[in-house]
Amino acid sequence: MAGDSEPESEVFELTDFTTASEWERFISRVEEVLNDWKLIGNSLGKPLEKGIYTSGTWEEKSDEILFADFKFSITHHYLVQESTDKEGNDEMLEDAIPQSMQDLLCMNNDFPPRAHCLVRWYGLREFVVIAPAANSDAVLSESKCNLLLSSVSIALGNTGCQVPLFVQIHHKWRRMYVGECQGPGVRTDFEMVHLRKVPNQYTHLSGLLDIFKSKIGCPLTPLPPVSITIRFTYVLQDWQQYFWPQQPPDIDALVGGEVGGLEFGKLPFGACEDPISELHLATTWPHLTEGIIVDNDVYSDLDPIQAPHWSVRVRKADNPQCLLGDFVTEFFKVCRRKESADEILGRSTFEEEGREITDITHALSKLTEPAPVPIHKLSVSNMVHTAKKKIRKHRGIEESPLNNDVLNTILLYLFPDAASEKPLDGTSSADNNPSSESEEYNLYNQFKSAPSDSLTYKLALCLCMINFYHGGLKGVAHLWQEFVLEMRFRWENNFLIPGLASGPPDLRCCLLHQKLQMLNCCIERKKARDEGRKTSTSNNVTNTYPGDAGKHGDQLGPDNLKDVDKEKGEVGKSWDSWSDSEEEFFECLSDTEELKGNGQESGKKGGLKEMANLKPEGRLHQHGKLTLLHNGEPLYIPVTQEPAPMTEDLLEEQSEVLAKLGTSAEGAHLRARMQSACLLSDMESFKAANPGCSLEDFVRWYSPRDYIEEEVIDEKGNTVLKGELSARMKIPSNMWVEAWETAKPIPARRQRRLFDDTREAEKVLHYLAIQKPADLARHLLPCVIHAAVLKVKEEENLENISSVKKIIKQIISHSSKVLHFPNPEDKKLEEIIHQITNVEALIARARSLKAKFGTEKCEQEEEKEDLERFVNCLLEQPEVVVAGAGRGHAGRIIHKLFVNAQRLTESSDEAATMSPPEEELKRMGSLEERRQNSVSDFPPPAGRELILRTTVPRPAPYSRALPQRMYSVLTKEDFRLAGAFSSDTSFF
Amino acid sequence: MDEDVLTTLKILIIGESGVGKSSLLLRFTDDTFDPELAATIGVDFKVKTISVDGNKAKLAIWDTAGQERFRTLTPSYYRGAQGVILVYDVTRRDTFVKLDNWLNELETYCTRNDIVNMLVGNKIDKENREVDRSEGLKFARKHSMLFIEASAKTCDGVQCAFEELVEKIIQTPGLWESENQNKGVKLSHREEGHGGGACGGYCSVL
Ligand SMILES: Nc1nc2c(ncn2[C@@H]2O[C@H](COP(=O)(O)OP(=O)(O)O)[C@@H](O)[C@H]2O)c(=O)[nH]1
Ligand SMILES: [Mg+2]
Repeated sequence: MAGDSEPESEVFELTDFTTASEWERFISRVEEVLNDWKLIGNSLGKPLEKGIYTSGTWEEKSDEILFADFKFSITHHYLVQESTDKEGNDEMLEDAIPQSMQDLLCMNNDFPPRAHCLVRWYGLREFVVIAPAANSDAVLSESKCNLLLSSVSIALGNTGCQVPLFVQIHHKWRRMYVGECQGPGVRTDFEMVHLRKVPNQYTHLSGLLDIFKSKIGCPLTPLPPVSITIRFTYVLQDWQQYFWPQQPPDIDALVGGEVGGLEFGKLPFGACEDPISELHLATTWPHLTEGIIVDNDVYSDLDPIQAPHWSVRVRKADNPQCLLGDFVTEFFKVCRRKESADEILGRSTFEEEGREITDITHALSKLTEPAPVPIHKLSVSNMVHTAKKKIRKHRGIEESPLNNDVLNTILLYLFPDAASEKPLDGTSSADNNPSSESEEYNLYNQFKSAPSDSLTYKLALCLCMINFYHGGLKGVAHLWQEFVLEMRFRWENNFLIPGLASGPPDLRCCLLHQKLQMLNCCIERKKARDEGRKTSTSNNVTNTYPGDAGKHGDQLGPDNLKDVDKEKGEVGKSWDSWSDSEEEFFECLSDTEELKGNGQESGKKGGLKEMANLKPEGRLHQHGKLTLLHNGEPLYIPVTQEPAPMTEDLLEEQSEVLAKLGTSAEGAHLRARMQSACLLSDMESFKAANPGCSLEDFVRWYSPRDYIEEEVIDEKGNTVLKGELSARMKIPSNMWVEAWETAKPIPARRQRRLFDDTREAEKVLHYLAIQKPADLARHLLPCVIHAAVLKVKEEENLENISSVKKIIKQIISHSSKVLHFPNPEDKKLEEIIHQITNVEALIARARSLKAKFGTEKCEQEEEKEDLERFVNCLLEQPEVVVAGAGRGHAGRIIHKLFVNAQRLTESSDEAATMSPPEEELKRMGSLEERRQNSVSDFPPPAGRELILRTTVPRPAPYSRALPQRMYSVLTKEDFRLAGAFSSDTSFF
Repeated sequence: MDEDVLTTLKILIIGESGVGKSSLLLRFTDDTFDPELAATIGVDFKVKTISVDGNKAKLAIWDTAGQERFRTLTPSYYRGAQGVILVYDVTRRDTFVKLDNWLNELETYCTRNDIVNMLVGNKIDKENREVDRSEGLKFARKHSMLFIEASAKTCDGVQCAFEELVEKIIQTPGLWESENQNKGVKLSHREEGHGGGACGGYCSVL
């Protein structure tokens, strides 16, 4: 083949590959790849440090090659190393054996916790594997295997590559590899045996030594010593005495009768199953020499307790079911439901048209006690009566998805004011949260959720809970419906909604929270107006300002109560009519006298003199020492209308409208005009409060920098201040002047309302009513994530796991990024929830391990700390060394765990009666006694690994002495022998 | 026409009334100075497309009134802004003293924390200066803002102020690209006096 054509190619200087076989092409492709990856020649790396296979970084490079149309992948696996300067060593390297052959003997990285199997079997730091590509069939027939192996051999020989090259044969799961490594005059063959049934002689050291020796076929006698490394791995699955403490909550117990057990607002936490499934103890004898110990089919010196080296790894349950994670995940799923509340509940609940809605239910009925009810409540219970009837008519109790007790508990939790004897109208006294300045409290800011003591946040938790435990989507729809009814009830009866910071909607919170705050603003104004009217009719108290609204409660003293009581029926009626009437004025005109006294018409044409005669109205307080320019009267700041509160969607709308007006002069003018209502209102209030005032006076209060004062010297030589309007204010018929001329002296309370609370409240209520469960879940998901993060944080605090702390920080920063954008992608939300679940599992694992190792029971502080550190390492590292092996503190605990598990197995096998465990453990101290018992201390090893190493000349006594290695592993399922046998290819 | 516009940026101009906010904006958008400019009522709005380092950006600029009473409206306009220009009048110390209030408001109402802030000392053409350049600089450094002195009347620094602001916003990818998680360049990384961008040493970037 290739060799045949060589002489000719010298003559013609032309190489013709047209006739090359598939096989040749395959080989040349392999060579090409080896060349591309620069794997040619020997590059001796550094000596391997202890544990570098675990601490170092492994990388791989892959390519595809074809054998005819059969696809292989070729992969170079290697430990990343600092490059050593090759050049200087070139000569020395001339006849050095390849790095990989040397690595066969290195004992610094036996049994790496995480590595490619070829690394574990042969101790290699670098190798190339040719394996059938992902979708290709396995190489099964012997002839094909041989063909592949000889291709490898040729490619290595042709290129001078000294990296071992393996081919994977047989089915993938069998992990069968054969390979070869070539160096100058040396070669190592990598061979493998994989069996299901183990011949008896392979189950112990002496048998394996025999195989090793016979494989080497060493011609020397006596044979150079064989170094032996042994590792037995024991698996502990029975944690019997440590029952996993986390029981999934008993739902029936919660609902049945005892409502007290229901804790809304608390999130569940923890894994439902033990998140630690197994403990693997590896007992290792790192360096034995032949003859020191005996291990044959009748006797063994290999007592795990005596093993000089112990290491442990734990197997974590894959995706253990975690309560918090499930909780949040289930809630997130609601986001994807398409049904409306009506569809879910199977009836039309919200009849927006008609009056029906106004007197429909109020679920708090059951909670309000009938006996000594404060005046406000009377009307409540009246309404509730009719509401109850209505409910019965609409739906049978048994149909209702939420059990009444549950519903009442939730409503009481959400609206604690309903149960208290305090009058219901107190401003929502948000529980003085002491930590309201803390970073934790302000998390809502980052998550755009809602404060953790707010109604919105509580509602989110309740819906989450309902969704999970009480009726799923149906329950969610039901609770929401009740909630919306409660909102309407509060609006119509002037009861503030608790659990919301007062003031305009907080734009840093979620939209739903803003909407509720908006509704509260409306209630507050309506209430102030209604109460103002009530007091003025009964007591003739005038001059009540919205700003003072809070004080009206005080005015409802015992004397007033009688009056109000009398009017109750009427008032109730008038509320009804009010909500429909064309309410135009900020405050109702109850006093006709006022109208006469301050004729509005008179302000229109009346000159300054006339106005000066008017009775001042709506004064808030004097403005410093300022006096009116024309008549020297003190200048008063008027009571003004509060600007309209806005939710972010309204704002968006408004600024869109304003922006749409464009940038032309007319557009700008129109924009200013649209916004001048507030200015006009303020001017009117100002005029009413300051009869005889001028625009200059107004400007001095409103925009002081537009009134320019200069010191001038008058005729008498005195310096006096002379002031005038700024140039821009003096522009003829600018909007300020225009507005001033239009403004009539009307106090704020009699002005047309800038903010139509009736309309806005109805808008909010409608908005709430049309939210589907899915919308609701989207609104509230930030609150739920917020709560989940706080929960995880709280739980972590108990455990103090530094790695978890770091992850939580990452989750917070990640979440705040995702949640701040208007419509976060589902995938990103899922990711957050997944992260939270992972942390939950991590904490659950820590708890499980701490319980198993009894860190709490540990008396000695130092030992306790060591043990805690050990437990933390188990969580973070694949494998952890047990200090002091079987004799160390942790080792003794592990031993005990095994003993207990063994005892249980044996007693369940109805073996001989056992002595109590304590006694048994006491006896452990005595070596002799224990030896007899050791069999029962541990189960049979789940894995027996052996590495046999030596350096002998092969194949002839005068050949070079080269590294030989055999690894064997015996488990329940299979047996594997992986041998690397080197031979001298020059001298044989 | 808008095809090559990289992004639309929302910018807000705030500061006491009369410091020249509307004049600065008019100078920037129409390159004129109008001594007859009416006092702003509520908020006003202008648009301009500019090109910075070859990137075209459409600026939607909201001009606010600044009077105490109008202020109750403006916090809402902070929402979603990527840049804020805070203006004071170098000839009126009281407008400089009030800056703290404005910053407070900014902190309270801004929905994002990576917003780019610029401090502009206006009316440097006037004689009776009351606030030294160094004071403005100090304030800006303290609050990690961009800083420039300008005059809407003589045009000094106006173009530069807007360009610098936009450049900074574009360098902070999280601000205009919702996908990008990068935090962008921290303002304090650049050295004082290095200036940079379109206007050499004139802008002080802190
Ligand atoms: N000399 C001078 N006057 C200015 C300058 N900018 C604004 N002004 C004047 O300052 C007053 C207020 O300006 P304006 O832009 O309306 O201020 P705003 O209330 O902040 O919008 C007007 O009379 C302007 O003519 C400037 O750079 N130099
Ligand atoms: Mg203005």
